[in-house]
Amino acid sequence: MTDAGAPRRVLRPETPWQKGWRRLQALGIDGLLLALALVMGEFLFHAFSGERGPTGLLLTPEEILGRLAYLPALALGFAGALVWNLFYRSIGAPIGRVLTRGVPEEEADLPWTRTLRGWFGALFVELTFFTGWIITEVQLVTFLTNFNKASDMVRGLASPSGEVLREGLVLLVQTVFLAFMATAFAIPVAFALSFAAARNLTRGSATARILYSVVRAVMNFTRAVEPLVWALIFISWVGIGPFAGVLALWIHSVASLAKLYSEQIESIDRGPVEAITATGASYLQVLRYGVVPQVVPPFLSFTIYRWDINVRMSTIIGFVGGGGIGYILKPRVDLGEWGEVGTLVLLIAVAVWVMDLVSARIRERIV
Amino acid sequence: MSATPAPSGAREAVRVEGLSKVFPDGVRALDGVSLAVEEGEFLAVLGLSGSGKSTLLRCINRLIDPTEGRVWIFGREITAAQGRELRAIRAAIGMIFQQFNLVRRHSVLQNVLSGALGRSGLLSSLLLHFSDEERRRARACLERVGLEGREESRADALSGGQQQRVAVARALMQQARLVLADEPVASLDPALRHSVMRHIEALNREEGMTVLCSLHDLDLVQRYATRVVALKEGQLVFEGRPEAFDGDTFRRIYGHDAEPAAALAGGRA
Ligand SMILES: Nc1ncnc2c1ncn2[C@@H]1O[C@H](COP(=O)(O)OP(=O)(O)OP(=O)(O)O)[C@@H](O)[C@H]1O
Ligand SMILES: [Mg+2]
Repeated sequence: MTDAGAPRRVLRPETPWQKGWRRLQALGIDGLLLALALVMGEFLFHAFSGERGPTGLLLTPEEILGRLAYLPALALGFAGALVWNLFYRSIGAPIGRVLTRGVPEEEADLPWTRTLRGWFGALFVELTFFTGWIITEVQLVTFLTNFNKASDMVRGLASPSGEVLREGLVLLVQTVFLAFMATAFAIPVAFALSFAAARNLTRGSATARILYSVVRAVMNFTRAVEPLVWALIFISWVGIGPFAGVLALWIHSVASLAKLYSEQIESIDRGPVEAITATGASYLQVLRYGVVPQVVPPFLSFTIYRWDINVRMSTIIGFVGGGGIGYILKPRVDLGEWGEVGTLVLLIAVAVWVMDLVSARIRERIV
Repeated sequence: MSATPAPSGAREAVRVEGLSKVFPDGVRALDGVSLAVEEGEFLAVLGLSGSGKSTLLRCINRLIDPTEGRVWIFGREITAAQGRELRAIRAAIGMIFQQFNLVRRHSVLQNVLSGALGRSGLLSSLLLHFSDEERRRARACLERVGLEGREESRADALSGGQQQRVAVARALMQQARLVLADEPVASLDPALRHSVMRHIEALNREEGMTVLCSLHDLDLVQRYATRVVALKEGQLVFEGRPEAFDGDTFRRIYGHDAEPAAALAGGRA
């Protein structure tokens, strides 16, 4: 079967434990997929059956979601998965088995249209799409025909009013500085953390490995929380105003920059590190001479890019009271003063465009 | 943790006993290597690619921790040393690499100065600051390798041969007593090899540094080495004078299919 010249892959014999664990994984994946397919099928059935609720109105998607038979679907799904995994030789391997153990030889060269799991996969994507269509209440017709309602808004945007120009410019300056301060405060913290979050520098001892895991976990969590949420947290901490916005963007920037920085550290050339270690240098000296010079240019580039991102984000932060131009944009949107909204949106667009241009130029120079 | 004195020979620069290295993936790169190098020797380490030359040199200054065995450097056991003591022993060992391994974005002078890190104060060295005395010494080292006037160039602006001479100057700056050179001229133009090898020879002859140098080229071995060892699959299979290591010895050790001129690129059988 295999080419004589191709490198032979060495397979280690599986222990019974590993085998059992993989079978369990396959069963779990297939069970969940089948159960999901059943639930979505039931959802679509309800949605199209014209069923009415106790109020006599058609059921809303939320109401349907509330009354689906989840547990029976789960039980049925897992029963189906079990059968499918047991008889995969005669009906074709299920997705979970393929993901955990690879495609069985007899199916290796079949196109997806000739396998059961191919058809199941296609059906699953289809179900997901239509379920999504209904849950998010997509209304194509309204979207295409009701344009005139929004037209005065668009007209307003196209004919900006000069009245908020002054205030807008002042707050735009605040926005750019807000983003700058958030980035500046983030640099030293992210820089220090990135060494602890780099795999290749934390293999030495058990303490270092624990530090790595802790820093990584905290960073991932911090990054997962949206800056908007951080803004709300810091507003209740330091009060409404630009400083809350600085803090919100700061904490998010620390996590993002530390991740980018540490990935850069992980990809450095080991050579200078070895050479400096060999001179009898201490750990900090090795970092300073072997690591830092290699990572400074990409760090600078990431940092400027981050400032750019922060300018964009600070607009949204302003919506909830984190300072910057978003702060005066929100009430005008609520009141429907589209001319003034237009001015502010244009100001933001110009600022973002200039930042983008400048940061791209600087980054080109550095790297 | 006090290092045990070496079993014998006060004039011994390196003593290696029963050195083995098994990498985490199961590769046995060194297999019970024992070896003694006298002070002042120029020892060539030969062997086919993958025979363990680099691993041996890196175990000697503990860039790689050996799995088994012990190593003494000038009578101090480096395999038992930790922290400050390990760094002090390393400070006496210069190292020259095939890929030069300079800090590319630093100036030539800064690269030479980094040889003094082992004896510099932590804070000032983290600020890239060195005393006037050290800077004078670094300039003198650069002059020795014929690179005066290039002090302020960025290291990566230099040619390969010049970069390797900076690495030699770094070993000089380090005031090393032992130099490990891992195929120092393998990535250089053949025409430039002697220019670098002569500087390494000068470390040996003029500064009295002991040199351990892995080489691929039989020609260079016979021209520069005072003694030769050869590795095969991690084991020491030859030890003797360079004159004794001719084409026939080569074939006897590496098998009859091997051709010294081909396997040891540029070598003369
Ligand atoms: N970090 C490592 N992890 C796993 N195996 C390694 C590692 N470093 C080296 N080896 C293996 O150890 C063996 C000896 O490698 P080593 O680099 O010492 O050989 P070498 O004689 O220097 O070869 P070359 O002439 O190609 O530089 C090789 O089989 C190599 O694949
Ligand atoms: Mg090597």
